[in-house]
Amino acid sequence: MIWISSRWKIALMLAPALILFTAFFVYPVGYAIAYSFTNSAGFGAARFVGFDNYVSLKGDPFFWQSVRNTLVILAVSLIILLPASFGLALLLRRIKGAGALRALVFGPAIIAPILVGLIWVFILDPRVGLVNRLLEPLGVGPIQWIGGNTLTPYAVSLVFIWSSIGFAMTIFYAGLQLLPSDIMEAVQLDGATAWQRVRHVTIPMMRETFAIVAILLITNVFKIFELVYMLTGGGPVHRSETLVSYMYFVTFTNQRYGSGMAIAVVIFVLGGVTSLAYLALARRRNIA
Amino acid sequence: MFGPHLTTRRRIAGALLIVSSLFAVAACGGGGGAGTGDGKTTIALSMQNPDVKTADPATWAIIQAFEKANPDIHVDVSGQAVAEHLQRLTIAAQSDTLPDIFWVYKATAEDMLAGGRLMDLKPSLDGLGVTSHLPPSTVSNFTADGKIFGVPYQGLLTGLWVNTRILADNGLQVPKTFDDLVNVAKTLKSKGIVTISDGANQSSFSVWSFLVWLDRFGFEDKIGGILDGSQSYNNQDFVRMYQHIAELRDAGAFATNVTTQTYQQAVDQYLKGKAAMLDAGVWAAGAIQDSAVGADTIFWNGATFDDGVGDQNIVMNVASAPLVVDHKVADDKSKLAAVKKFLAFYYGDEAQQLLVDNGQPPVTDYQPKIDATKQSVLKSALDVANDPALKSPHTQPDLVVSTAVASAMYDSIYGVIQDQLSPDEAAALVQKALDAK
Amino acid sequence: MSLTTRSPRDGAARDVSTTGRRGTRPTTPGRRHLLAAGVAAYLVTFLIVLPILWIALLSLQPSDTILSDPFSVKSLTFGNYRDAIASLPLLQMYKNTIIVAAISVTAGALVSFMASFALTRMVFRRRAAQSSLRFYLLAGLAVPVYVLLFPIYRLDLALGIFGTYAALILPYIAVSIPFNTLLLTGFLREFPTELEEAAIMDGAGLFRVCWSVVLPAMRPVLATVFIFNVVYVFNEFPFVSILINNPDLATVSLAVSRFQGQYTVNYGGMMAAATLVLLPQLVIYAVFQRHVIAGLTAGAVKG
Repeated sequence: MIWISSRWKIALMLAPALILFTAFFVYPVGYAIAYSFTNSAGFGAARFVGFDNYVSLKGDPFFWQSVRNTLVILAVSLIILLPASFGLALLLRRIKGAGALRALVFGPAIIAPILVGLIWVFILDPRVGLVNRLLEPLGVGPIQWIGGNTLTPYAVSLVFIWSSIGFAMTIFYAGLQLLPSDIMEAVQLDGATAWQRVRHVTIPMMRETFAIVAILLITNVFKIFELVYMLTGGGPVHRSETLVSYMYFVTFTNQRYGSGMAIAVVIFVLGGVTSLAYLALARRRNIA
Repeated sequence: MFGPHLTTRRRIAGALLIVSSLFAVAACGGGGGAGTGDGKTTIALSMQNPDVKTADPATWAIIQAFEKANPDIHVDVSGQAVAEHLQRLTIAAQSDTLPDIFWVYKATAEDMLAGGRLMDLKPSLDGLGVTSHLPPSTVSNFTADGKIFGVPYQGLLTGLWVNTRILADNGLQVPKTFDDLVNVAKTLKSKGIVTISDGANQSSFSVWSFLVWLDRFGFEDKIGGILDGSQSYNNQDFVRMYQHIAELRDAGAFATNVTTQTYQQAVDQYLKGKAAMLDAGVWAAGAIQDSAVGADTIFWNGATFDDGVGDQNIVMNVASAPLVVDHKVADDKSKLAAVKKFLAFYYGDEAQQLLVDNGQPPVTDYQPKIDATKQSVLKSALDVANDPALKSPHTQPDLVVSTAVASAMYDSIYGVIQDQLSPDEAAALVQKALDAK
Repeated sequence: MSLTTRSPRDGAARDVSTTGRRGTRPTTPGRRHLLAAGVAAYLVTFLIVLPILWIALLSLQPSDTILSDPFSVKSLTFGNYRDAIASLPLLQMYKNTIIVAAISVTAGALVSFMASFALTRMVFRRRAAQSSLRFYLLAGLAVPVYVLLFPIYRLDLALGIFGTYAALILPYIAVSIPFNTLLLTGFLREFPTELEEAAIMDGAGLFRVCWSVVLPAMRPVLATVFIFNVVYVFNEFPFVSILINNPDLATVSLAVSRFQGQYTVNYGGMMAAATLVLLPQLVIYAVFQRHVIAGLTAGAVKG
């Protein structure tokens, strides 16, 4: 490709993206980092306070609870979502009406997160929700799916999986479509079973796709906000907050913009580090 | 074939095309703005409801009446849900692009005033003679640094709405003391009825009736010391108060899904007759009147405590979040005149009657005309508010502290209700927020 | 060098027929697996779709009983839809959304494609620069949108575009860059370069290579990028709620929040508005999907 790679051609291709990205992402992140060292309320005077905001996060039990919750959601979602969406992508190819089915599975991804949270409250609410109403005649006591002490992060994972599965499946599907057909044919003709085909040929060839989906899921988990907000409002008393919902609480509800931006920086770093960790791990094990 | 020169030219042409189309869109996209082309002055009013006409009929009615009386002034009213509304205001304050008049929390207003974003209303209000008609506690509440930064939007009259029929059906009377209330709760719990309807989801502020409890344990005397650090919020009296909340919880007064229930759902539970009491304020009067439980509902100013501190016969009747005016209005002669006319109208008798007609109590000393049958619910609340035997605190406890401390107060109360915090932990939580200054 | 054997294709729909080899057809266990797969697929899809169907049901409930009896089928009514349509300028909101989506999604895809191509295909003087730039762009994925609100508001004001379509379009393009870049660089890296090299041998320049060779081959990925970004614009809320002051420019994502008051919420209206916003997106997705497949099964990519 060296023949089309003159220096200024590269610059031209990169320029628009770099300019827009730097203006609308890097500048705001820098802005946020700068503010995280102040005690600003969002407007008016801002006093420089050094690392105070970060230090007080260390002693903030609500913050650590939100970290714990986010990590639980991350673990559960990755473990279930990656294989499930890949399997679904494999499944919804050769059968009748696959196109329509794919469109339907993508349905949840189309619904605004606020609405997703809203309808799932009606399903999971311990008192008036659908699930407990169905379980009641069976004698199963009202389980606190949300709003209780332990199950909320798992319930949030469930809702996140539901709303993201179509999204992940679509990317896997695009990846499957791009697999070179001659290799796929050859393997098929060699008499390999479907399972062997998938395990030894398809998955290794889709390494990049798996990486893409994983990174998207990881960064999306770190950004979960509306789901939690609608299901429990972060409660009871901040027990079910995720990182972003707690950041929102501190920034906008408590008007502590400086502290909120400190949390934002933490989110940003955690999301980035986790993604890189995934990539490093995947590279070493040489699979998806 | 395409040689390198033509390719390059094509690329440049393509790039120019994109850039120019973006500019074209930017130029022709959007329009609107305060059109004063027809000689009208427009004032922008920004409220905390997206659909003011439906959700806030009182304000809507006042605006319509005002525009009718002042055909040369147009009030451009808009709004968003509270959370977004406050977000927008915070962001706009940063860039000094606030709307002309807007609703905002008192603590935020004080910050904005300190940041030079608000207009001092004292000269206008004094000049219009409005100040003398407002309750003195309201005026002092909205005064800082010698400036009046806000005017009362609507009243904040809070307490418990009580469904007398549910009580009567279970052989109970409207409680007077706290022990009465606990007995009521125990009896209703055994019948599977929720005593107090509360919803914490995204509405942690909805603990109005419990904020009054702070005043029954000496809040007004203590708050000065608490704020300047000479006293602690984590004191015996307040801890006793939280213990009482815990007793009420243990008696089964609350629904099991307080955490996931929103305030609106809590209201709905009451309106459908599924709860005996509703923790809310006078703004709910209209909805209650229109519902099946309207005829049975009365307003109760809350339980008295044998082990309380100070006067127990109180009712929370104070000013709610204020309307404030952007400082730039002072520099615009026609806008200033229009805003003054609006304020004069809003606090005049006609507008105050419109408030009452739409289910809100008046905020001035105006005595409204009210229909005893058609507005029985509102009347019940106003009767309590006007009861000479009851006094009102100066303000609601969460309105004299910063937003972060107020949040901690709500969290502390709901924390005990939801069995997440012990009474000691609850008080300590608020003290921690106070210490974090 | 046979170009026709390198065609990307979907699934294995044509596995069986075109090889000319004798005797190798899927055996009966394969057929049974297919049937089981079909049943599983339909079941799973049904479970996933259930809550969406329920939104539709909720939107038909009368608003005074929606909270207490959300599952009843007794008194269904179209009243909420009447409310939603009457109180919202839906057509205008759709128009705004479509304009913003069309411009921002297209520009975003184009801009990201250019950058992704440069980051995967072109040869940099310093290798390290290339992968660091790629990480630079991808890092945007880890940033929650609320961090961007304040500064972008000021940026829009400073650029003088506040209150126009551009106030939304520019941020949307920027926000789509990390995601688009992730997908495009990922797939470009997996994709063989023979076709492009052949085209260059034939004398094609940069533009020709991109336009006639790479873009068509990337069609499934581009379709995915388009779909995701369109859905994003339809549902994006934080930016719209802050950057749009003029109700004439509102997009459909504000439709649902219109029903939320300070003390009252019109759940029925919200659900009706939600359904009205949902349906066109589902249609767009279905159409795009089929369009892409049609393009692929038409044949191999020719040089």
